[in-house]
Formats: sequence, structure tokens, C-alpha cells
Amino acid sequence: MMLLALLKKDFLIVKKYVLIMLLFIFLIPPFMRWRTPEFTGVLGFVLSVIFAVFMLLQYVSLKEYQSPKAATLLCATPFTRKAMVLSKYIFCMAIYVICCIAYEIETLVIPGLGTADITMFALMFLVTALFIGVYLPVQYKLGYEKTKFAFVVVIMASPIILPLLMRMDGLNLGFLSTLSPYLICGGIVLIGFMFLAISASLSVKIYTKADLA
Amino acid sequence: MNDILTVNGLNKSYGNFSLKDVTFSLPEGCITGFIGVNGAGKTTTLRTLLGLTSKMSGNIQFFGLDMDKNERQIKDRIGIVLDDGCFYDELSLAEMKSVISSAYTSWSEQDFKRYMDMFSLDPRQKINTLSKGMKMKYALALALSHNAELLIMDEPTSGLDPLIRSQLLKTLIEYMKNGGKGVFFSTHITSDLDKIADMLIMIDNGRIVFQEEKDTLLDTYRIVKGDSRSLSTDVRKLFLSISETDFGFTGITKQISEVRSYIPDVMVERPTIEDIMLGNIGGEK
Repeated sequence: MMLLALLKKDFLIVKKYVLIMLLFIFLIPPFMRWRTPEFTGVLGFVLSVIFAVFMLLQYVSLKEYQSPKAATLLCATPFTRKAMVLSKYIFCMAIYVICCIAYEIETLVIPGLGTADITMFALMFLVTALFIGVYLPVQYKLGYEKTKFAFVVVIMASPIILPLLMRMDGLNLGFLSTLSPYLICGGIVLIGFMFLAISASLSVKIYTKADLA
Repeated sequence: MNDILTVNGLNKSYGNFSLKDVTFSLPEGCITGFIGVNGAGKTTTLRTLLGLTSKMSGNIQFFGLDMDKNERQIKDRIGIVLDDGCFYDELSLAEMKSVISSAYTSWSEQDFKRYMDMFSLDPRQKINTLSKGMKMKYALALALSHNAELLIMDEPTSGLDPLIRSQLLKTLIEYMKNGGKGVFFSTHITSDLDKIADMLIMIDNGRIVFQEEKDTLLDTYRIVKGDSRSLSTDVRKLFLSISETDFGFTGITKQISEVRSYIPDVMVERPTIEDIMLGNIGGEK
């Protein structure tokens, strides 16, 4: 109940941007099909997740930074600091799920966009988990301003680095084809969740010790 | 009378400021003013009590429960008003309420509506369009709508016009009449305390200077005015502070009968809380 209320709060404080981001989520995959047909599908989905999750997280952090005393008031109520931190992780994961659903719908209605592959969803979940798993504890420790710089670099570099990464042949993951795809996906998702759990406990530890504004 | 809050040996270091062995208690049924000049440690004390900043040592008990072990349960029974509202500016009053209300087990929508009507607040209004006074009223509406037994406020009247301050003080008296067990509020506007406080706690430079019932305090201290030539070294020792001009001296003392025995023809006046506060901070002797 508490987590839901805090999750709702995160969506409320960025409600102006949520609609714009939804539009992006739906527009990026068909746009990629039009501009770079060779990467149709995967890249569109990857970019929509990057923009939606990372940008909305950034907006939430900005709003929290602009009203630091609001979080202090919430911590003075029975909301626990642990719940405050966990809600941020759930917020990111909720946006990720929305991206997956949006992409799934698009592949059904837009011809030539490919099929929604469960391995792709699992891999992108791992990437998202790794990113927020690093980003959130760093932000709780260093604050919004210092962490923002690193974030901007990642966002700016993503359209350049991603196609390059996808052209790379160096990494031989051929052995994975011998395993059951369900086993691979399950393993990837499990690693993602484990990473999130470690990161969340670290963030809780940092935030619990913090002196609030 | 039971104590609803006891603080024992609270220590906290904050850059070049520290709370030193802060110890006091709030008896049930009292409006307690927490006074001190800016930077004396009022806000730091309140924040440390609420667990918003960590303490180095000390024990805090609300309603007989240890704060370290029962934080959530205790906070469910406390109403909080922090300085300057502390809200997300882009939310409407209804949206902010929907977030805060989820934290409490005994939230009363009826009470909230009543306070919103009483303070003429529109739930659809955005928080960033509210004046400072309206924000304070809204904060009070939130703090009083979950059957809080204790209300803790940090500088609630600071920067408010006299009309809003008087409305706020009236609401506090009403809250106590309707079953509130206590109000604890920090302020440096001592005239508000003259009107409603039962108990006063003064802090200066991170140390508690006194905790006393207001009436006892006002009866204990006296302002003395007289000729500076009558101030011998022994007489000066009887004063907390003395200020001197070419026309004479004005001092504040807790030992009026001794002062009178040395200087029988002095003029004696009853002090205000502000006089007592300033007297305790010190002045030239």
C-alpha cells in the first residue's frame, strides 16, 4: 500500500512528461524502421526503453531535487525510507513493463516491425537493471547534480554506441544456442533481479543514514 | 501527568554546530513552545527527534515508546508541520493529500474536508499557487486529519501575517480541546507563546537553557530599571543581563528580593517571554 502510494507520487510529479514519453515509446520503433530498416525491431525497442526509463527517472530526480523538503516531510510521516527507495526501483521497472507492452502491441499492428522476442525483453531487462542498479545508489550517495553528468553522457552516447555494439562480432555467444531459450531468459532475468536486490539494499543503507534537508 | 515525549542526553554534531546533551520532556495536555534565536538548534532538535537526521547518542521516547524501535508506530500518532510547507509544488492539494493520507492508518477524510473548508482551501488548486499562509494552513490540515495525539511544528508562524497567525493559534487551542494530547512548536516569535503556551523550553547554542511552565517563568523573572551608579559588583552578579545608557540601566533578574535589598528604589516590571529569552542569551553586565 505504502509502495503503491509512493509509486503514484513519482508518476504524479512527472505527469507532464509521462504522456510525452508514452508518445516516444510508441513512435521510436516505427521511426527506426523507417530510418534504419536494418535494425528494425531490436534497436527501436532498446531506444524506447532507454528514453522512457532513463528520462523519466531523470525527471523524477529533478523534481525531488527541486523540492528536497518534500521527501523530508514524507520521511516524517510513517512512510519508511526503505519504501521511499524501493518505490524508485519499482517506478523504473513499471516503465520498462509499459515499454514491453507498447512494443508487443506495435509488433502486432505494424507490419515489418518483427516479432516481440522474449530473449530481447529479458536482455533489455538486464541492461535496465544494470543501469538503474548503478545509477540509483550513486545518486543517493552523491546527489542529483553530480550524477546527472554521467547520465547525460550515457544518453548522448546511446544512439552512437548501440549500432556499433550490434555490429561487433568479437563476442562469441554461440554456446548459448545449445541451451533452452527459456533457461537463458530465466537466467538473465534472475541475474537482473539479483543485481536490483543488491543495488536496492545498498541504496536503502545509504538513504537511511542520510541527513535530510 | 504522563510525559508524551522524553528526550535524554541527545547529542548531534552538524558541521560546526552541535546539540549538547539535550534533555527535556513534554507533559501530556500542554502546548509547549520551543524557543531560541535563529541557529540555536531548534530545527536540528526537532529533525533529530523525528529521525530526519541521525543522532550521535541519546534516547528519545514518544508516548513511552522508544523511537528507535517503534518509529512507524510513533509517526502514525504524530502530526507534522515543517517550515515552509515542504510539498511538491506541481501537485494539486488533492494529489498531495492522496499521497500523504496513504501513510496513516487512521486518516479521516471527513476531518480533512472540514479543515479545507475552514481554511477556504480548494483541493484542485496547485500548491505552487498558494501563499505562504495558505501553505501553512494546508500543512496543518494534513497534520490534523489522522487523529494525531501530538502535533509537532517547526516555526509555523514565521513569516505569516497577524491574522493568519491568530487563526493558526485558534486552531491549536481547538485541537487541544478536541482531545489532542500535546503541541510542541518551535518559534522565535515569542508573542504567539504569550497567548497560548503552557510550557516553555529554551535552547541556545545547542544546549537546553530552561524548561519551565510559562506562568512560573513569568513570575520568576523581573525587569529592573534604575540608576547605573547603584550597580556595584555584587549587584551586577544578581542579573542575567544588564544594558546601560546615560540615563540608567535595565536588567533582568531572577533574584528580585536580593536586588531590592541592595537598591530599594528601583523600578520593577513584569517581563515578556522575549525579555526572558534575551536575558538568558546574555548581555553586558
